[in-house]
Amino acid sequence: MSRTPGVEAPTAFRQQLLEAIPRLRRYARTLTYDPASADDLVQTALERALAHWHQFDQGRDIVVWLVGIAHHAFVDERRRHGRLQVVDPAELHEAHDALRGEPAPDLALRIDLVDALERLSVEHRELLLLAGVEQFSYAECAQALGIPIGTVMSRLSRARAALRALLDGTAQAGARSLRRVV
Amino acid sequence: MTAPADERPVDAAMLSAWLDHELDPAERARVDAWLREHPADAETVRRWAADRDALAAALQPQLAEPVPERLQRLVREHRADDGRRAAWRRVAMLAVFAAGGAFGASLMWALQRQAAPAAQLVHAPSGAPFAATSAAPEGWVQRAALAHRVYVPEIRHPVEVNVAEGPEGARAAQEQHLQRWLTKRVDVPVPLFDLSAQGFELVGGRLLPDEPDRPCAMLMYQHRDGQRVTVYLRKASTGVPAEFRYEREGDVGLFYWVEGRTGYALAGNLGREQLLALAQAIYAQQQGRR
Repeated sequence: MSRTPGVEAPTAFRQQLLEAIPRLRRYARTLTYDPASADDLVQTALERALAHWHQFDQGRDIVVWLVGIAHHAFVDERRRHGRLQVVDPAELHEAHDALRGEPAPDLALRIDLVDALERLSVEHRELLLLAGVEQFSYAECAQALGIPIGTVMSRLSRARAALRALLDGTAQAGARSLRRVV
Repeated sequence: MTAPADERPVDAAMLSAWLDHELDPAERARVDAWLREHPADAETVRRWAADRDALAAALQPQLAEPVPERLQRLVREHRADDGRRAAWRRVAMLAVFAAGGAFGASLMWALQRQAAPAAQLVHAPSGAPFAATSAAPEGWVQRAALAHRVYVPEIRHPVEVNVAEGPEGARAAQEQHLQRWLTKRVDVPVPLFDLSAQGFELVGGRLLPDEPDRPCAMLMYQHRDGQRVTVYLRKASTGVPAEFRYEREGDVGLFYWVEGRTGYALAGNLGREQLLALAQAIYAQQQGRR
């Protein structure tokens, strides 16, 4: 199989891409809740993947590679447009909480999983998906997101704690998640 | 194991890594022991596992969603030289615009000959301007020329959304509404090009049928002396080679090209150089240029 840039991406590679699209779309939706924006991101990622197909090492997991491309594109897009266009639900919730005054850590206040997910930061939400649901190894997470393994480890534990705190109803607006388990 | 590692407390990060089987055997054994001694931590880890399973279950249905047609088409039809060809076209078009005048015109004709065979503009029967359903660029440009002929002479209803209608202060709101509406319906960015440098002011716009589930946007501009031009935008088909073309159908001149995912056309009863200046202004204001 020729690996010359400029030669068409082979059928087998395209088939791999097609099979990976559902998981790629699911990942994109953890980054931007609007499904249309998520699909735009997926489209950008696929275009880049097709343009650089010759750089993909067939020994690797193609989904990890695609997630890395999509993450990179998302970060680029965010940097280009500032925070105006990407509506982060977590920010909206924080703003609402701030407006309501001091938070009430009401243990009886439970919210469901979907609501809790929305309130997490993008970084936490994507890690919970990649490590928890997609079962990426820490090394794969590190590679896809361009961060050190140590950061994956600490950030993921904070994400789990943050999610648990939201589900327990003990989360306070702007509060950091638990650093140390008692 | 060295002493310092033994004395290091088991923190949340380690418990989390234990859950993910990311610890080496020695560390894992240490956390196993810790969890036996600390039931509260063991409970926390159990909850994290339950949350993870709940999340997986909640997100599972998304995998079953059908993949949108446009994504499938992209993967199937993408061609290796799409990016390079786009770059060539941009260089070529910039050369044309920079040259301008007669030299620019001869460059344009040379480019046109290098591209696909020349289009034949055929008069469609009047009263059926949208009978043609060809997806080829020529068919679309033909329809643009016809639309130009149909709407430009209209006095009262040249456009569907007229930005000059209503009170003076409402113009900006009307423009915003027009842009959002057309952008949403055509599914490509539709900027309200500023052609005031060439003496043209925006009248408004409308939506036109083009292909099934692919309408196109029309913007109409008017000169101080009453002359009108129309600009068309539509979502380009994938795999359609981009061409920069100039055609003339009777007294209507047309420029058309594809940039990125958008097809553009400009129609006017103007001389070639005047139309070129307008096309240049539009090209410079396209969104999504890289």
